[in-house]
Amino acid sequence: MSQKIIFPSASDMPSTAISQGDMAFNKTGSWRYLRPLYVEKLAPCRQTCPAGTDLPRMISLITQEKFLEAYSLIRRHNPFPAVTGRVCYHPCETHCSRAPLDGCIPVQALERFVSEKGLEQATIGKVSESQSGSVAIVGSGPAGLTCAYFLIQEGFSVTVIEAEKELGGMLRIGIPAYRLPRKILDQEIESITGFGIETISNCRVGEDVSFESLKRDYDAIFVATGAHRSRSINLGGAVSGLGFLNAVNNGNAPEVGEKVIVIGGGNTAIDAARVALRLGAEPVVVYRRSRQEMPATDEEIHAAEEEGVDLRYLASPDSIVKKDGRLEVTFQGMKLGEMDASGRRRPVPIPDSNFSLEADTIIEAIGERPDLSFLSATDEELSIVIGGDARTGPSTVVNAIASGKQAAASIMHYLQRSGEALTVSPLELSELVTPAQVKLDYFAAQERAVIPRTAAEGRINNFKEIIETFSEAQAVQEAGRCISCGVCNNCDSCWLFCPESAITRVNGGYQINLDYCKGCGICAQECPRGVVSLIEEGI
Amino acid sequence: MSTAFAVDTHVVTGNHAVSHGARLARVQVISAYPITPQTQVVELLSKMCEEGELDARFLKVESEHSAMAALIGASAAGARAFTATSSHGLALMHEMLHWAAGARLPIVLANINRSMGTPWSVWTDQNDSLSQRDTGFMQVYCESNQEVLDSVLQAYKVAETVHLPVMIVLDAFVLSHTAEPVEFPSQRMADRYLPPYQPRFRLDTSTPAAFGGLTTPENYMELRFKLQKAMERAVNEFQVADEQFNQIFGRKYGLVEPYRVDGADLLLITSSTATSTARDVIDALRSEGRKVGLLKIRLFRPFPSDLVRQVIAKVKKVAVIDRNIGFGVGGIFAQEVRAALYGYAQIPVFGFVAGLGGRDITPTVIRKIVDYADSRTEQENLVWMGVRE
Repeated sequence: MSQKIIFPSASDMPSTAISQGDMAFNKTGSWRYLRPLYVEKLAPCRQTCPAGTDLPRMISLITQEKFLEAYSLIRRHNPFPAVTGRVCYHPCETHCSRAPLDGCIPVQALERFVSEKGLEQATIGKVSESQSGSVAIVGSGPAGLTCAYFLIQEGFSVTVIEAEKELGGMLRIGIPAYRLPRKILDQEIESITGFGIETISNCRVGEDVSFESLKRDYDAIFVATGAHRSRSINLGGAVSGLGFLNAVNNGNAPEVGEKVIVIGGGNTAIDAARVALRLGAEPVVVYRRSRQEMPATDEEIHAAEEEGVDLRYLASPDSIVKKDGRLEVTFQGMKLGEMDASGRRRPVPIPDSNFSLEADTIIEAIGERPDLSFLSATDEELSIVIGGDARTGPSTVVNAIASGKQAAASIMHYLQRSGEALTVSPLELSELVTPAQVKLDYFAAQERAVIPRTAAEGRINNFKEIIETFSEAQAVQEAGRCISCGVCNNCDSCWLFCPESAITRVNGGYQINLDYCKGCGICAQECPRGVVSLIEEGI
Repeated sequence: MSTAFAVDTHVVTGNHAVSHGARLARVQVISAYPITPQTQVVELLSKMCEEGELDARFLKVESEHSAMAALIGASAAGARAFTATSSHGLALMHEMLHWAAGARLPIVLANINRSMGTPWSVWTDQNDSLSQRDTGFMQVYCESNQEVLDSVLQAYKVAETVHLPVMIVLDAFVLSHTAEPVEFPSQRMADRYLPPYQPRFRLDTSTPAAFGGLTTPENYMELRFKLQKAMERAVNEFQVADEQFNQIFGRKYGLVEPYRVDGADLLLITSSTATSTARDVIDALRSEGRKVGLLKIRLFRPFPSDLVRQVIAKVKKVAVIDRNIGFGVGGIFAQEVRAALYGYAQIPVFGFVAGLGGRDITPTVIRKIVDYADSRTEQENLVWMGVRE
């Protein structure tokens, strides 16, 4: 206890001022006006993921070599990790906090690695029906199957209706095998339908079965028919990009001849050109704006350039004429003008700048739109949900997954008669980690692993997958670079730096002894990943 | 002699001699902030830590103040702690130097003497270290790179006996960046000389205690009394440590070193590298028949007054060369010598200030000092050598 000590002589004293007992009586917590709290926050990777996948924890599980646990975790958010692990536009990487230090974490490659482990080893059992309610899902693309996946697991009876012969929608029709091998796609779709989803293929709603009959037979309907109707400039003589990709992807590759002109600048245009290249042609992509405005992802454009695809900019087709059994396209030269509604600079014709190119095949890939003609004007009911590309127009796989998820939530709420649909995801309510909370000074720069891929010369004459999966060692090493923004990974910084020793390690976490915590804030300052927050006392 | 006791000779700078001294002392925590002309000391130590040659924690900190603060924590927790600094870095540490000594922590600090600004300078003089005279740090001024390495080992030996910190001091560039042959003793020899540190008190969360807490007037003075007693004891402990060093390594330095004092009328007093130059000048003057001797002062704190008096008892006149200036009084070593002599001997003690801001103290300068003192009988407190007045 606190008491005054008078030593009889200097020789009775210690050589320096040191308390003669412990100081536990001195509860320094009474000095505190700020209180530290462990508040996990949203990492930018997770926040920007449309599917809301818990990426920091997935990566953490990889570092612990718990690959199947990581797979189950991803699948709680996204039924298609093998697909998104290949074809996602990965905003998670673009916004990774580590990027300014030594490059982002290769999140997509890690997701792909985990999906491979999962598809090899995870077992899927049928889910028994436990809810009253049957749902018809029109379209088996990523939106439709995602919706089916979440509903079946909640015990609803689910039927997926597909117009084509095989399931997959745009994944199967539009994405070439060198980006998404058919075997992987098949496996992943089976891993979804295997829960007990009824599937009906070769059945086009509006032709083979009426929408009215679906309304009669099911309690709710999710319309996820995608955007398959190709836009056209109506010059005649051109084939649609999507039709061309579908034919090739289904084993009916057409004869394209030697010279192929692809008109457009989106991913379909780039895919069509790269597929034509693999069929032995010399493709030329002509886009009316510049590279900067191209809607295709930079990775795809770059891959096409590597493979030697001839990309030409600032030209718009004017006319197509048949000439000696070949086609001749006349292009109008363009320049960039003012910004348009899309935020890109508008192409403006340059007078007297026409030029011509000859081709054996002309592919138009200037966009697709949904076809919802099978719906009637009176179909605006709560029991009918429209999602995916069918609602938004052409978008990305991960956005379709997100839409399928939201549709499942809406339908569940509707069928359980709980009133309104779930509109706000809990993620949107979480606090985002700020760049200032992530202390890069704590991390030594470490070169990012190179994702193994086949060089251009080895891939231009075949449809084999270009990118390979990380080895276990590579995956664990790359996962180890993750800062784990906003998510405690027991690094002990708070525990080490607490000048009062008021932090103790308990049950894989930490506890702050508020009797002694002075609220100095050092734990919050030193937490390299922004987990410790300070709040004012009495609030 | 077995190979374990073999000695390797390396040509190294004074800075690297400091690093190797710290390595051989098996320091456990190094905390430092870079500053010219010290940086090489900790640069080599950080490399040793990285390469596993030295099993120590190297802490990069944001200032010299923090460097010493970190060492105070480390030393209180029972680690052998080391840092190096210079000039403004040492000045920034000032508060923590008092704290380290008051806490009775055996930290060793190497200070490379560099002049204080303004004006900006990187060259040697002693005002940085001598400004820390009353902090409770012991101070050892070194003349050669070998002495530097050896003094680091001796410093820990004494520091851990009397529980006070030590400052090893060497001249910027003249020693810090000049390479000369240095014998590196084997680790086994160093270990035999310097066993692991055994703290008396230890910061340990399993037996919590408060360190350095508020001490009322009833007790404060006794703690200061004990610190002074430890300083007084250290004079003897330095001699013991030097003798033990001699037994293992075959070298000793003394706290002061008299040179050709027998039969001298005039005694020149120097410290640091000016001593080597002075030794040559004394040899030349002796061969000319001049009755002049030399005394090197190696230990400045605690000041070995008795030893200084014993040597001075043999001469008639003293000339002190100070590479420093105590503004308003004169050279600081000269004041110390006069204070030691007061009441014991009534002979003139001439005070010469030379070599400030790294200006060379050449044989010519030393000869002029001897001639000046020889030709005068009345004491002059402060004579500026080589100043264009």
